[in-house]
Amino acid sequence: MSIEKSPLRRKLDKLFVPLTVGPTLLWIAAIIVYPTAKLLFSSLQFRNPVTNELEFVGLRNFQRLILAREGSDAALGVFNPSFVSFTTNTVIYVGFSVSISFLLGLGIALLLDKDLKGRGWFRTAVIVPWILPYVMSGLMWRWMFQSDFGAINGALQRLGIISGNIPFLSDGALAMMALIIADVWVFTPFIIIILLAGLQNVPEQLYDAAEVDGASRWSRFWNVTYPFLKPSILVALTIRIIFDIRALDLVWVMTQGGPGKSTEVWASWLYRTAQVFNEPGTGAALGVVLLAVTFAIVASLYKIFGESPYEA
Amino acid sequence: MSTKKSPLNRLRRSLGLETQNEWPSVARERLLAYGLLAVYVLIIWFPIYYIFITSIKPSSEVLSLPITFLPQSPTAQNYVDIFTNRPFDNYTINSMIVATTTTLICITLGTVTGYSFSRFDFMGNKSLLLSIVGARMIPPIALIVPFFQIMSNPPLIGGFTGSLYDTRLALILTYTFFNLPFAVWIMKNYFDGIPESLDEQARIDGCSRWEAFVKIILPMAKPGIAATAILAFIFSWNEFVFALVLTSSEQAQTLPIAVSLFVADDFVDWAHLAAGGMIAALPGILFGLFFQQYIVSGLTQGAVKE
Repeated sequence: MSIEKSPLRRKLDKLFVPLTVGPTLLWIAAIIVYPTAKLLFSSLQFRNPVTNELEFVGLRNFQRLILAREGSDAALGVFNPSFVSFTTNTVIYVGFSVSISFLLGLGIALLLDKDLKGRGWFRTAVIVPWILPYVMSGLMWRWMFQSDFGAINGALQRLGIISGNIPFLSDGALAMMALIIADVWVFTPFIIIILLAGLQNVPEQLYDAAEVDGASRWSRFWNVTYPFLKPSILVALTIRIIFDIRALDLVWVMTQGGPGKSTEVWASWLYRTAQVFNEPGTGAALGVVLLAVTFAIVASLYKIFGESPYEA
Repeated sequence: MSTKKSPLNRLRRSLGLETQNEWPSVARERLLAYGLLAVYVLIIWFPIYYIFITSIKPSSEVLSLPITFLPQSPTAQNYVDIFTNRPFDNYTINSMIVATTTTLICITLGTVTGYSFSRFDFMGNKSLLLSIVGARMIPPIALIVPFFQIMSNPPLIGGFTGSLYDTRLALILTYTFFNLPFAVWIMKNYFDGIPESLDEQARIDGCSRWEAFVKIILPMAKPGIAATAILAFIFSWNEFVFALVLTSSEQAQTLPIAVSLFVADDFVDWAHLAAGGMIAALPGILFGLFFQQYIVSGLTQGAVKE
């Protein structure tokens, strides 16, 4: 290669950063910043049902969303009953899904971290559910839970555990349970992948030392594994929680928020408000709330866990 | 007992035991681990098995009692039906075009930008990178209102008028919103793992910045690019919410929408839904089986190295 440098080459070299970063920044401005700004703007507008025009209404959408309307029933004193009940559903759904899949994922990750033959095969088999389209997984579980021809009723009957059919998806509490099972099925692989990567950071010698010291299994996990795993746990939980709050796919294809409104969560409420009821302003306001809650959760999780001394 | 080739001895050897009469706790622990993993895998694969056998049962068998866990008369009829009676060829082509184009855009921009963020200190690079990472946290569902408005009534650029609603272009543009920040971030982390001394050596040897990047560093980044591409493809292929909001006919609808269309108000056509679901799931299953290490490394690069 030649050492001489033509002026053009030098000029192109000087432009390296602008030419490689500029297009991406422009793209991001157009496809992320602009829609987000428009979201904030839309949340302050309301579609007048008579004229079909968008009118500026200030914070009234947020008020309509969170607080009870005048003259109608209120929950917990002043709140919109829908807001309270859908928030409760979301907390139940996310809380159970995340904690069950976290414990399950941690257990499987610890098993897969052992020096086993055929570990690669197990790892492949274990992560597949997460790669499938969520819609297909949701419908698959709807079929599993179907009351007449579903595999779960069929298997329970064949084992002699039940005699009649359990109408899983037409009972509020059972439908929520079915949703949580589907969610755990889909997202546990994600926890496994992240925690398995974190387990690679634990130095082998520390285990040997702990064994020599006669540390119990529990104390080995708590004193050796956990400190090194903490950053991965933080990431896994953060991503898991914020992705579950926004998840529409499973809920929409399995229950559509029903029966009644017993599985209506924020995501399905937002979709219904914005698209089905054609109230973009209220939908956008809910979007802003979702955005704010997401950032608040991330910030507080990082605060709770703090900085780990063993940063990966 | 003493014959060398007894199955018991083979089992002992495969568990790493030297002597014949030794069954220490390590071996018992491994057996337990195998057992637990096997049970777990069987349980999580059972629903996939059940939807698969549903897809190869005739509709009459799907809706008859008692339900069968082994198909009595396997058939490919459901698969034939969805491609002849429903436009599954269109849906598949839409899915392929949308996922492939999104992936190409994201890995191209993500690779060059990730490289610059990894190598250069330029004005505001830290806070720019931070905001790109932050953009990954924006919930897509929060943006369905603005994206619907923008795509139905796009801002005038170059005299373009008309709606992007129900076009593949609308989906491609939208899908870059969650894939591009992810691609920049994975690639930045990947380039961080390639020693900068290699760039410097290339520059000393007379390469321009562009040559050093394209000829020396890019070839070394292939595994990172592959991981990014596979994840971006899967995320786009599986996406449902924006496809639901931004499309309404087979000229742009993708496979996840097509599968959900089998659900009518009161009746679900399970046999054909299962076949459509298997088609939609196919790339994921194949990627999972053959490129598992790329998916794992991509996710790890993208998530853990915060």
